[in-house]
Amino acid sequence: MSYSLLDFFTDPVLRAPTLGSIFMCISSSLVGVIVVIRKRSLLGEALSHASYPGIALGVTLLAAFFTPSSDGFALAVLGCAFISSLLGMLLIDLLQKRFRVKDDAALCFVLSSFFGLGVLIASRIQTTHALWYKQVQAFLYGQTATMRDIHILIYAALLVFTCVTLGLLYREIQILTFDRSFGQSIGINSKFVETAVLLLTVLAIVIGIRSVGVVMMAGMLIAPALASRQLTHTLKHMFIVSGVIGAISGFCGNYFSVMIPFYLKAEKLSLPTGPMILLTASFLCLLALLFAPQRGLITRMLRVLKFKRNCQLENILKALWKEEKKEGVLLQEVASSQNLSSFKTWLRMRKLLSKGWLSIENHRFILSDKGEKKAREVVRLHRLWELYLVHLGHCKDKVHASAEEMEHVLTPELEKQLTDFLRNPMHDPHDQPIPHKEGKE
Amino acid sequence: MSDTPALLVKQLTVNYDKVPVLWDIHFSIPAGNTVGVIGPNGAGKSTLLKAILQMIDPLSGKVEFFGLPFKKARARIAYVPQRSSVDWDFPITTLEVVMMGLYGRLGLFAWCGSKEKKEALNALDMVGMSSFADRQISQLSGGQQQRVFIARALLQDADLYFMDEPFAGVDMATEQSIMQLLRDLKAKGKTLFIVHHDLNTVEAYFDWVIMLNTSLVACGPVKEVWTELALSETYGRGSFVLDEAVKLSLRRTSGFK
Repeated sequence: MSYSLLDFFTDPVLRAPTLGSIFMCISSSLVGVIVVIRKRSLLGEALSHASYPGIALGVTLLAAFFTPSSDGFALAVLGCAFISSLLGMLLIDLLQKRFRVKDDAALCFVLSSFFGLGVLIASRIQTTHALWYKQVQAFLYGQTATMRDIHILIYAALLVFTCVTLGLLYREIQILTFDRSFGQSIGINSKFVETAVLLLTVLAIVIGIRSVGVVMMAGMLIAPALASRQLTHTLKHMFIVSGVIGAISGFCGNYFSVMIPFYLKAEKLSLPTGPMILLTASFLCLLALLFAPQRGLITRMLRVLKFKRNCQLENILKALWKEEKKEGVLLQEVASSQNLSSFKTWLRMRKLLSKGWLSIENHRFILSDKGEKKAREVVRLHRLWELYLVHLGHCKDKVHASAEEMEHVLTPELEKQLTDFLRNPMHDPHDQPIPHKEGKE
Repeated sequence: MSDTPALLVKQLTVNYDKVPVLWDIHFSIPAGNTVGVIGPNGAGKSTLLKAILQMIDPLSGKVEFFGLPFKKARARIAYVPQRSSVDWDFPITTLEVVMMGLYGRLGLFAWCGSKEKKEALNALDMVGMSSFADRQISQLSGGQQQRVFIARALLQDADLYFMDEPFAGVDMATEQSIMQLLRDLKAKGKTLFIVHHDLNTVEAYFDWVIMLNTSLVACGPVKEVWTELALSETYGRGSFVLDEAVKLSLRRTSGFK
């Protein structure tokens, strides 16, 4: 069957999983921000796995008394998961404080031992109580399809609770995470805030495991937060962006799991929602890691390339200025002197022409007035830097290489500082004149 | 000004795992002084600050601020932590860091409107950083980071300032401009309590000095206590035995051989 976007929010079968997942993803993305800025990412992984024995044991014990399909049953199982996860947290704390186990070791120990215990209980009931086992498995990889309208209310309430708590503790969290001792000095109760944050983390995990499951839950905490860290530079914006990414992931996970089989005309293909949610979040995170305007890997690589090209442009100008050939130079001469391929040289020359730094006559390139000014600036920075290094006590034969780099980097402010510091010098250490800025011959 | 000392520390002992880091410290500081806390690495200078400000629980001892316990005097106290103690990659702008200085006075839930923002910008202006207000803190240099911290402390408008190595890793020009701000504060009758590591500038910067090496070596006006003898006692070989004993004791008391 085909559904429109709106159907996902109105259709009686689709709306509960969709809205439930969105609410759950928002709350985990918000809490994830705190986990990430506190550099405690592994904690989410450990605590979500620590909830598994609670689920297995909870289902086994409760199923003896309740019908597994009732709403109360689902909530009670989540309660067991919460307690189990909390126990895991206390054990981590105990291991660190009492047994002096290092942070990462304590986290890994709790993660694997609790999860192992859960697996043990689950495999015990696998053959004897297949129905219960299925219930347990639903929490392992997440299952949204069986959500009903009551879940929308539960998850909405939990989301509101998370938002209100975060809103009330926002300044405390900001101050304590950035500068703990200052926070304590102005009277913030750090123990209270930290306990509240940990409880909130456990709560967000327990809310989330119903949708994305124990195994993938940590990803849902980390991925949106990591993506938003790439895109923002204040905590407030980080919370907002992370929440939006979480909501998008929650919706897309449901949308893709229903619509991809439809588009592929493979109705029997089953795409579980949990992994789809996490894949969406991870994909968005990957995009942010690669393309974020400030910190993205690709954007930074592009900036490096641009910088390198700029260096080459400036080097060409510098060479032309030094040669002082009135009749200009040929492309091939530039290529060999700059050690560039003729194609690259051609590209660079075209750029210089378009900037108006060069003119061309009979295939010969001639420095324009504008280009000459630019070249003099570069040479000035080069020689100023050499003089500065010699001033600092460096040998004058060895300062050239550093100046080759710095001439492309120094800003006008730094140039001014250097000029003042060196008292507006006329000559560099090699007795070459330092060209003055235009108009100050 | 009354005779109540700005800071009174009585028999303060701080232990880490049963090993004294500070041992039986006792001193008082008259208000309006600039106090330098001097001592070798590991002498407990930062610990003294943290114990005074109740961030770590002392084994014994009592601290009074203008004759009041910490909780009642909190609004009159500002603290500038070591610059290296915070994560400078934290997602926060310069202005937001400075605004933190307001919450101690206004409360954490106070609404910060344009008036408060103006106050914060004003504090930034005093340290010459107003053009950096919207900058992300990771883009600041070491000296600029320190100046942001000073601006935050200025905004706290306290009577007693505690600063942990405000000149560490800071260029000469910044050190001079920070020192000028501190002199202005002193001129307004504020008391400054500063952990310091550069022995050459002690006499020029401070009018009172506390020399520390686990126990208190000297406390008093610079002119009286800043002597060769006190220095050699503070930095002398005597402390090596103590260090060794402290390490040994730490191993024994935690059950290692």
